[in-house]
Amino acid sequence: MLSALGADNSPFNEEQLRLLKRSIGTLNQSQSQWLSGYLAGRLGDAAALTGVEALGTGPALTILYGSDTGNGELMAQELSGQFEQAGITARLESLDHFRPAGLKKLERAVFIISTHGEGDPPEEAVELFEYLSSERAARLTTLSYRVLALGDRSYEHFCASGRELDERLQVLGARPFGARVECDVDYETDAGNWSSEVIAHVKEHWAEGSQPAVATRLSLVPSKPRWTRHEPFQAEILKVQKITGADSGKDICHLELSLEGSGLDYHPGDALGVWAPNDPDTVDEILDSLVLAGATMVEVDDSRISLSEALGDYRELTRLSVETIEAYARTGGQAELGELFQAFDPEQRREFIEQRQFVDLVQEFPSEIEAQALVDILRPLAPRSYSVSSSRTLVDEEVHLTVATLYSDATGRQRSGVASQFLNHRIGVGGLVRLFHDPNRRFHLPEDPTSPIVMIAAGTGIAPFRAFMQELESTGASRQSWLIFGNPHLRTDFLYQRDWLRWRETGLLDRIDTAWSRDGADKQYVQHLISDQTERLERWLQRGAHIYICGGLAMGRAVQDAIQQATAAQGGISFEEAESALTELRRSKRIHKDLY
Amino acid sequence: MSANPVEDIKAESNFLRGTIRQGLADGATGSLADDDTQLTKFHGIYQQDDRDVREQRRRQMLEPEHSFMIRARVPGGICTPAQWLALDNIATRWANGSLRLTTRQAFQFHGVLKHELKDSIRAINDSLLDTIAACGDVNRNVMCTALPERSDVHAQVFADAAAFSDHLTPNTTAYHEIWLDKEKVAATADHEPIYGNRYLPRKFKTAFAVPPVNDVDVLAHDLGFIAIEDKDGLVGYTVTVGGGMGVTHGDPATYPLLARPLGFIIPDQVVEVGEAIVRIQRDFGDRSERKHARFKYTIEDRGLDWLRGELKQRLGYALEPARPYHFTSRGDEYGWRQTDDGNWHLALFIQNGRIADGPSGTQLSGLRAISQVHKGEFRLTANQNVIIAGISAAKKPEINKLVREHGLDAHEKLSRLRLHSMACVALPTCSLAMAEAERYLPELVSEIEIQTENHGLAQEDINIRMTGCPNGCARPYLAEIGLVGKAPGRYNLHLGAAHNGTRLNYLARENANSGEILALLNELFARFRKQRETSETFGDFLTRSQAEITEGVLSHA
Ligand code: SRM
Ligand SMILES: Cc1cc2nc3c(=O)[nH]c(=O)nc-3n(C[C@H](O)[C@H](O)[C@H](O)COP(=O)(O)OP(=O)(O)OC[C@H]3O[C@@H](n4cnc5c(N)ncnc54)[C@H](O)[C@@H]3O)c2cc1C
Ligand SMILES: Cc1cc2nc3c(=O)[nH]c(=O)nc-3n(C[C@H](O)[C@H](O)[C@H](O)COP(=O)(O)O)c2cc1C
Ligand code: SF4
Repeated sequence: MLSALGADNSPFNEEQLRLLKRSIGTLNQSQSQWLSGYLAGRLGDAAALTGVEALGTGPALTILYGSDTGNGELMAQELSGQFEQAGITARLESLDHFRPAGLKKLERAVFIISTHGEGDPPEEAVELFEYLSSERAARLTTLSYRVLALGDRSYEHFCASGRELDERLQVLGARPFGARVECDVDYETDAGNWSSEVIAHVKEHWAEGSQPAVATRLSLVPSKPRWTRHEPFQAEILKVQKITGADSGKDICHLELSLEGSGLDYHPGDALGVWAPNDPDTVDEILDSLVLAGATMVEVDDSRISLSEALGDYRELTRLSVETIEAYARTGGQAELGELFQAFDPEQRREFIEQRQFVDLVQEFPSEIEAQALVDILRPLAPRSYSVSSSRTLVDEEVHLTVATLYSDATGRQRSGVASQFLNHRIGVGGLVRLFHDPNRRFHLPEDPTSPIVMIAAGTGIAPFRAFMQELESTGASRQSWLIFGNPHLRTDFLYQRDWLRWRETGLLDRIDTAWSRDGADKQYVQHLISDQTERLERWLQRGAHIYICGGLAMGRAVQDAIQQATAAQGGISFEEAESALTELRRSKRIHKDLY
Repeated sequence: MSANPVEDIKAESNFLRGTIRQGLADGATGSLADDDTQLTKFHGIYQQDDRDVREQRRRQMLEPEHSFMIRARVPGGICTPAQWLALDNIATRWANGSLRLTTRQAFQFHGVLKHELKDSIRAINDSLLDTIAACGDVNRNVMCTALPERSDVHAQVFADAAAFSDHLTPNTTAYHEIWLDKEKVAATADHEPIYGNRYLPRKFKTAFAVPPVNDVDVLAHDLGFIAIEDKDGLVGYTVTVGGGMGVTHGDPATYPLLARPLGFIIPDQVVEVGEAIVRIQRDFGDRSERKHARFKYTIEDRGLDWLRGELKQRLGYALEPARPYHFTSRGDEYGWRQTDDGNWHLALFIQNGRIADGPSGTQLSGLRAISQVHKGEFRLTANQNVIIAGISAAKKPEINKLVREHGLDAHEKLSRLRLHSMACVALPTCSLAMAEAERYLPELVSEIEIQTENHGLAQEDINIRMTGCPNGCARPYLAEIGLVGKAPGRYNLHLGAAHNGTRLNYLARENANSGEILALLNELFARFRKQRETSETFGDFLTRSQAEITEGVLSHA
C-alpha cells in the first residue's frame, strides 16, 4: 500500500513521500500501530473528518451524538467510519458543539444518545433537551431521523433520554425512518445492527446526492482510538496502596499502572474503562448453590466455553437488574421470588437490587436452572470507569487511579463490588489490568490558562483534581485554585492529604475548605461549605472561575442546589430565578460535572 | 532576632495568641502552625503524633496522625471527686480512653483531636481545674508532698503551695479568648508583671516537701521548699535551688543536678522570696541557648553566692541560713492508713500512672465508681499514683469493695520492685522519645523480678526508673537503677542513687540492650547479697562499688 502512494493520490510532496516511505518501511507492526495511534491523537478525529466533508457537496446524513463516558462517541465514530468506507459523506457532530436552533435546517440525521444521572441526558446534550421541550422549539417537519439509545438496565430509568428525545422529536413533527433501538451495557450487537440498518437506509434513499469520499487519502490516520473497550490495553499494576487511615470506615486505594508502550494519552479529567473478571470464589459459590458443574460447556457470543469461564469473565454477577431477577424467577421456576418481586413498588425494587448480588439471590431463592439458561439470563459483564488521578506530564507513562471498594452487607454477608475489589484486593502488584481510555472532554481544565478553578469533591471525587494539580504543578501554570472536599473524618479520610497540604504551602493551591461529616456533632457536607462561602464563590465566579464537581450523584445535586442558592442569596433573587444563572454557567461551559 | 527562635515566637505572639485561632479553624490538617505549637504549650497543650503509624501514614499520603496531649494543672495534686468525674468524662469522650497521672501530680490526656480541643479544654475549666501554664516557659504545676503523717502540717504546706502557684499563673487573657470564647476587653492591654512578654527563658519547677517523705523529689527542682517543723508545727521552709534532670545525649554541657540549700524562710515569705527568685531567673537565664537556659545552669555559671547577693538586693534583706532536714523515703506507702484527724486514706499503685480499663483490671471504671460515692478528695502523688484521701470510717467498706471489684488492689500482690518502678510516657506519643518506656518497663520488671526472687531480694525496696530519652521525665538520675533510652531497645544504665533522693546516680553502661542489662543486674544482685553491709540499700551498695562496676570485670559482663 505504501508503494502505491504518490504525489498525485496523497497530500504529500515527493520529498515527504521519500522520507515517509523510508521510515515507515522500517517499522514493525507494533511500531506502526503506535505511530498510527500517535498521529490520530495528534490530529484529532475532527480534523480527519473535516477532510472528508470538504470533499463532498453536502452530507447525506448528520450523525449527532451525546455521550458522557464515550460509548456513544465510539459508536458514532464507527458509524461515520463505515460511511466513509462506503464512500458516503456523513457529518459527525457532538452535541457539545451543536446549536439546537440548527435542528430545523437538518433533513436527515441520526441521534446516538446515552442516559446518565438518574435518567438524565449526558451533560453535553442538556441544552438540546432543554430546547426541545421549550416554547421556542421550532417545528421539525422536514426532519427524518432515527435514535440509538444507550443505557444500562440496572438503572431505574433505562434509556430514558433516548426515549424522551425520540418522543419530543415526534411531537415536533419529525419522522423516524426506523424504530428507536435501546441498548443495554452490551450494546455492540444491537448498536451494530442499528448501524447497518441506517447505512442500508441511507444507501437506498439518500446516497445519490453525495459524492464518494476518497477514503484512501485518510487511511494512514485511522479515526478510531487505538485501545478500545474491545481491544483494551493490558496495563501492569505497579503499586496498590490503601490511602485511608487504619481505622477508616472506607477502603480506598491509590493505584499506579504502567502505560508503557501503549501510546495511551489521557488528560486530567479523563477516565479509564477497566475490565474486571468476577471473583472465582463468587463463581464457585454460585455453582455450588445451583448444583452446577463449572466444566459444563455453554455458548457465549457464538463460542463454546466452560460455565465457570462464562460466569467469571463474561457475565455480570454483582449488579442485578430487573430483567435478570424476573428471568431467574421464570426460568428457575422460582415462583416465590417472582411473586415477591412483582408486588414491589419501584422503590422497593431498587432497594432489593442494590442490596443484593446474584449470588445472594440464588442463595436466598434456590432453584434448578440449567447451565445455558443461567448464562442466558445474566447480563454481559461491563467495564467500570475510574477517573485518572494523575497527569501524564508528571508521571510520564503511568496512570494513577483512586478506587473505593464498594461493600454491601444487607443480607448479612459482606459482598464487594467486582471491579473495585479486583483492583484494590485481588490483582496485586505485577498483575495485568485490561483498560481503555474513556475521555471526558467536558471535564478538562479551562483552555484559558488564567481562569481560576473551583474543585468540589466528595470521596473518590477528588481523583481528577489531583490530576489537575499535578498538571498545574508540572506545567508551571499559575491559575487560582480552590479545593472544597468532604469525607467522613479528617484523621483518616483526607485523600492525598500530603499532596494537598504541600500544594497549599507552595501557593499552587489557594485555598482548601473541608467538610468532615462525622467529626462534629452537626453533619457537615460539601454543600454546606458552599452555603458558608457564597461571597467568596461569587467573587471567584466574577473572575471567570470554572466550577468542577466530582463524586456521587446525590452530592452533585446538593452542590448544584447550593450554588443556585448562593447565587440567589448574592443577587437577592429567588431560588427559581437563580436557575438561569446556573444555566448560563453551563452554557458558557464553566460548570463541569463528573458524577457517578 | 534572638539566637533562639522560641524567644522570637514568644515575643511576637501577642501574649501567647499567635495564630492558634486560625489554626484551629483550618480543616485541612489536624495540626497547628509550627510556631503556634510552641505557644500552645503555655496553654497546657502539646501537639503530638502517633509515632507507631508515622511510616504507614507517610505511605498512605496522609499527614502524621496528629493529636494533642493536654495537661491539666492540679496544684499540689489535690482534686475533688466531682473533678475526677469530669476528667474521666474527657478521657473517655475525647481522649484515648485513659487518664495519665504524671510524675508531677497532674493529669494528662492523650490523643485529643484538634477539633475536639476546645470542648475538652472547656470541660476541664468547667470542672474548675485548668491547663494554663501546665507546660511552657513559666512556673509549672507546683508539687506538694501528698500525704504526710500529720494532716495539719499538710494543710498548711498545701495552702502555701497553692498560693504560690496562683501567684505565678500567667495573666494573659489569650487562654480565655481562644479556648473559652471570652471576649477580649479591648481597653485592657495584656500585662505580665512577673514574666514580661517573653516569659521565662525556660520551664521552671517548684516543689514543697514535708520530711521525712521526699516523694516529690524536691532536689530535682529549680526551686524547693522543705518544711521545717518544731514541736508546735510548721515554722518555715529551707529553700533549695538549682535542681534539674534534663540532659542531651553526647552534650557534656548538659547534666543532671541536685538542688542546693539557699536559706531559711518563714511561711509568710514564700510568695515574696519565690517571686524574687523567679524574676532573677527571668533576667539572668540564658535566652540564647535553650539547652542552657534552666535555672540550674544560671546558678552553675554565677554561683550560689551571686544568687544570695542578687536576692538580697531585690528583697532588701538576706535570708537566714538554711536549716537541716532529713528524708527517709520517696515511695508511696500503699494501702490503708489513718492520719491523726481520724480519716482513712488509701494509696493505690497505678503502673506508670496509666489509668485505663484493660485485661489486668478496670481501673478507670473503678475510680469513676469510687468518685461517685467518695466524699473526700483525691491526691495524686509524684510517683504517678493516687491516694483516695479523707475517707470516713463509715465509708471505708464501700470503697474497699469497689477497689477489689475493679482490680485496684494490685499493690497487695505486686513485687516491691514493681511498686517502686516508674516510667515516663515515651512512645508512641512523646515526640522526643528515642526508646520505649511506659510500654516496656513492666515487661523488663517481670524479668528482673525473677532475678531478685532468685537472689532472695524480693522484699528489698529497690527503686527503678526508665525514660525514653535523657530529658529525665521520670527523674531516672535519682533512681537506684535508672534506664535512659538511647535508641530502640537500647538504654544507658545508671546506678546507685540514694534511696531517699539525696544523691544522683552514675552512668555505668552505655547503649545496653535488655540482655546486657539483665546480665549485669544479675551479677550485681549476686554481689549485693554477698557483700552488702548491714541495712545497706542497693543504691548505697552500688555507689560504694562504683569503681568495680565501671572499671572492673563488670564492665565486660
Ligand atoms: C508526663 C511527664 C512524664 C510522666 O510519665 O509522668 C512528662 C512528659 C513529657 N515531658 Fe517531661 N514530663 C514529666 C515530668 C518531667 C520531669 C520530672 C519533674 O519535673 O519532676 C522532668 C525532669 C525535671 C526537669 O525538668 O529537669 C522533665 C523533663 C523534661 C524535659 C527536659 C527539660 C530540661 O531541662 O532539659 C523535656 C524536654 C524539654 O523541655 O525540652 C520534657 C518534655 C516532656 C514532653 C512534654 C515532651 C515534649 O516536650 O514534647 C513529654 C510529654 C510526653 C507525653 O506524650 O505525654 N520533660 N519532665 C511528666 C509530666 C509532669 C507534669 O505533670 O508537669
Ligand atoms: C465517569 C466515572 C468515573 C468514576 N470514577 C471513579 C473513581 O475515580 N473512583 C471510584 O472508586 N469509582 C469511580 N467510579 C465508579 C466506578 O465506576 C464503579 O461504579 C465503582 O467502583 C463500583 O464498581 P464495582 O464493580 O466495584 O461494583 P459493582 O460490582 O458494580 O457493584 C456491586 C455492588 O453494588 C451494589 N449495587 C448494585 N446496583 C447498585 C445500584 N444501582 N446502586 C447502588 N449500589 C448498587 C450491589 O449491592 C453490589 O454489591 C466512576 C464512575 C464513573 C461513571
Ligand atoms: C453515573 C451513571 C449514571 C447512569 N444512569 C443511567 C440511567 O439512569 N439509565 C440508563 O439507562 N443508563 C444509565 N447509565 C448507563 C449509561 O447510559 C451507559 O453506560 C452508556 O453506555 C453510556 O454511554 P456514553 O458512554 O456514550 O455516555 C448510567 C451510567 C453512569 C456512569
Ligand atoms: S523522658 Fe523523654 S521520652 Fe520520656 S516523656 Fe520525657 S521527653 Fe518523652
